[in-house]
Amino acid sequence: MSRRRPAGPSRAKGLSLHLLAVLLAAFVLVPILFGVLGGFKDNAQLATNPFGLPAPWHPENYTEVLGSVSFWRQIGNSVLVALATTVLVVGLSALAAFAFARFAFRGREVLFTIFTAGLMFPFAVAILPLFVLMRAFGLLDNPLGVILVQAAFGLPMTIIILRGFFAGVPREVEEAAVIDGCTPFGVFWRVLLPMARPALATVSVLAIVASWNNFFLPLAVFNDPDWWTIPLGVQQFQGQYSSDIARTLAYVVLAMVPALAFYAVAERHLISGLTAGATKG
Amino acid sequence: MTHPALTERPEKRPRTGARPGPGPGPATVRRRRLRGLATVALFILPALVLYGLLVLAPIAIAAYTSMFRWNGLGGWPEDFVGLDNFTRLFDSDVFHGDLRNGLIIIVLSLLVQLPFALGLALLLNRRMRGRAVYRLLFFAPYVLSEVITGVLFSLILSPESGLANQLLRAVGLEELERAWLADPSTVLPALFAVMTWKYFGFYMILFLAGRQGIPAELGEAAAIDGATAWEQFRHVTLPLLGPTIRIAAFLSIIGTVQLFDLVWVLTGGGPDHASETLAVTMFQFGFKRTQVGYASAISVVMFLLSMIFALAYLRFVMRRDTQGAVTTMGDHR
Amino acid sequence: MSLRRRGLVMGAAITAASLLLGGCGGGSENGSEASPGGKVTIEWWHIGTAEPNKTIYDGWAKAYQAQHPNVTIKVTPMENDAFKSKMATVTTAASAPDIFSTWGGGVLKQQLDAGIVKDFGDVNAIGKFTSAALAAYQIDGKTYGIPVDVGMVGFWYNKKLFAEAGVTEPPATWPAFLDAVKKLKAAGITPIALAGKEKWPGHYYWTYLAMRMAGLDALKQAATTHDFTGAGFVAAGRKLKELVDLEPFQKGFLNAAYSTPDGQAATVGSGKAAMELMGQWAPSVQKDAGGGIGEDLGFFPFPAVEGGQGAATEALGGGNGFAIGADAPAEAVDFLKFISQMDNHKKFVESGAGLPALAGGEEAIKDANLKTVATTLAGATGFQLYLDQAYPPAVGQEINDSVAGLIAGSKTPEEVAAAITETAKAEG
Repeated sequence: MSRRRPAGPSRAKGLSLHLLAVLLAAFVLVPILFGVLGGFKDNAQLATNPFGLPAPWHPENYTEVLGSVSFWRQIGNSVLVALATTVLVVGLSALAAFAFARFAFRGREVLFTIFTAGLMFPFAVAILPLFVLMRAFGLLDNPLGVILVQAAFGLPMTIIILRGFFAGVPREVEEAAVIDGCTPFGVFWRVLLPMARPALATVSVLAIVASWNNFFLPLAVFNDPDWWTIPLGVQQFQGQYSSDIARTLAYVVLAMVPALAFYAVAERHLISGLTAGATKG
Repeated sequence: MTHPALTERPEKRPRTGARPGPGPGPATVRRRRLRGLATVALFILPALVLYGLLVLAPIAIAAYTSMFRWNGLGGWPEDFVGLDNFTRLFDSDVFHGDLRNGLIIIVLSLLVQLPFALGLALLLNRRMRGRAVYRLLFFAPYVLSEVITGVLFSLILSPESGLANQLLRAVGLEELERAWLADPSTVLPALFAVMTWKYFGFYMILFLAGRQGIPAELGEAAAIDGATAWEQFRHVTLPLLGPTIRIAAFLSIIGTVQLFDLVWVLTGGGPDHASETLAVTMFQFGFKRTQVGYASAISVVMFLLSMIFALAYLRFVMRRDTQGAVTTMGDHR
Repeated sequence: MSLRRRGLVMGAAITAASLLLGGCGGGSENGSEASPGGKVTIEWWHIGTAEPNKTIYDGWAKAYQAQHPNVTIKVTPMENDAFKSKMATVTTAASAPDIFSTWGGGVLKQQLDAGIVKDFGDVNAIGKFTSAALAAYQIDGKTYGIPVDVGMVGFWYNKKLFAEAGVTEPPATWPAFLDAVKKLKAAGITPIALAGKEKWPGHYYWTYLAMRMAGLDALKQAATTHDFTGAGFVAAGRKLKELVDLEPFQKGFLNAAYSTPDGQAATVGSGKAAMELMGQWAPSVQKDAGGGIGEDLGFFPFPAVEGGQGAATEALGGGNGFAIGADAPAEAVDFLKFISQMDNHKKFVESGAGLPALAGGEEAIKDANLKTVATTLAGATGFQLYLDQAYPPAVGQEINDSVAGLIAGSKTPEEVAAAITETAKAEG
């Protein structure tokens, strides 16, 4: 980049930039491709033919995972936990964010600061006492034990983003509704919430991704395999089939699919949410 | 991390693009105050209860249990030992190792990962073919869970049949072959490489958002004044990206303090604690050795470290960002 | 912000929340009660992830379900290390599965303290176990687990590789052992495979050396005095250091697991290392993970060490067993009775997965090496349960961890003894 002339398009430079981009793309893709193709090999092939295409192809690894009850059960658990977490955190955050954006009351900034402080401390700090708490509440091996905690830890980011959005809505909209006889809750429910759909989508996507990938909390809360989520399942599967790398790869690849599919659909919301969350928090 | 400028914003007039107009009339304000507390409570209390109970209370519980000798069995601890757990912790080699490992990862992140992501963001900010595809691709690993990433890379980095060593063998670089995750001298770089794979896309996206917030005219003006590409970067782009860079560094450091999933799956903290982090040590003691009191002390130390760091960082590093930075990020969706 | 106010807010929040959440805490009991004739589900956690264990355990579950259509056995096989952490969590959570693997000892004792295991009552009604096999599961005269097998730890070696290195007979003394290691190294053969990541395989070395140097009584005594700084324990570390200094382990052993394709068992099982120090399950796991070396495999007991208190005939060992969760249905006990029937037990022994725990099961042993193990164990003059199971988890894990440090070269023998003592004193 240290050219001594004003920047201008040059063929050589363009080429080298493309080369760099392609190299990086390979850096990202090769591990994933290794997984996808490896799942179609058997273990002998993995040792002798690590790079080439499988010969012959062994779809059994994939079909066996897809045919197993536990895999679908884990997907189901992950979906349940993610959706419930999202509904809870977005619902509670929207209420609170509305109040923070629209009401003037004593201690508002102090309260808001307390919430935003949550962004600063690592989740790992709380895991042990949370375990003790959940035990006291009888919420171990109960999806609520994960859902409630995930929602609680999602509040700061969600409130910050939604408050920012609500604050940006012109007050005239709301005043018209008040004149029409709406209660504050009516204003919130009938006027602001529908307007906030894009922001709600953004925070929902963030909550879903965070819940889907959470490992630490379910690891501590879910001992019963019936409740295991996908990340727990992947780790358990690797242990159980430690001598069968190809099968483990197949499991890992299939476990990736929902996340990547969701990313393909919700990429815009995810990225806007992350940048907004990071920069506003 | 509240910057006054941002939390005050709801009070101020809407930002650029919103219509200017009169504020709420005095009558409205009074009415609101009257209904005030009840309504506010209705809106905020549910979130506050959940937050207080599951985010704030655990810190207090950890502080309490950290002062007991407790194997975690039964209801609550009884064997009070004062600060004994802390003195043992501060004495322990593993704890010192954790701090050292964390510091190494932070330094590597700041010196390698962030500049790398920044360069990439600037690259992708140019008009080049396939830009959207690259952006989509580079960010994809961020969406995968740490566990999946960890399992995948533990297979890639295994000494005999792993892809990494097989690649080196295939291109004739046998002497570079390593037992990546088994050698105390390579395990942190290997872990860092996996972290980079997973997270560089995230920082790239942050920088892209920040970069797009810099008006093109500024660069053009500099170019007309005869600034080289490097000078433009050094004197225009970089300073204007300052706030984004500082936030990225902040997120990177806070993230390192609680690094657990990847390490747990890749190495379990080994070999011989060479890749262990505070969170891993805490888990080992809390959930494997059933030394819950001692593990709580680790939690408390983690909390204090990140709190002190965060407050100092906000106070000394990010302060000026809160006082009217040129770019208002987050507006660029 | 005012601290006082924040405290008030927090206090209010916590009170409110505990009222709120208290309401939904009670409804989550999911203990399975015995109900004659009704549907019963048994949760079964075990660590038999390798063949032939996996097939045999699954076979037992299927056979039992076929006989008892109202019973469903939910089998969860877990990798050894993952299982141990999960059990620690479950113990703290005070909610155990109905049947789970155990090795007895101090870990089982802690599970008893946590109230997650159940007394079997008259264990003879379940099976005629040998008293050696049963001992580890008995606490204060009551039985909290039943054995599936019992055996001992010793060296599993590759006869062909030993011969190639010019080691004509299995070493019987420590110097001869070190000499064999040197010869193997000189011949370009990796002498020993070790799963450094999992740590428990490494602790066998230190334990055996502690048995030889400090003696069985010292180990028993240390359990109550919490003092491991005696000369015998330090000497054990020094002996181990002599071995470590020869760099006898395979490349990358520090992050090697036990049963993975790059792991300890596979390394020996594929002929890439000359030996491993392991329990009676070693041949089956070698075969499962690395293909096995068939006729080349041999067994010799841990060598004698001069100048110590212990004899070469004292064995370190133990076996796999199963405990019953406190809330387990009666069918869980019945199932364990079922697997302890001689014909079912024989299937297990015949497969080579382990050694018999039932009196009279010996004739089912087919493998010549396992027969050697069985006779050596039968002739043993003393017995020590795996230390990481015999002591409470905090102490056992500290032994594993400190010894791993010694093997990795980051801890001295004295530091190992001091670290174990410190943990034992603080947490015992």
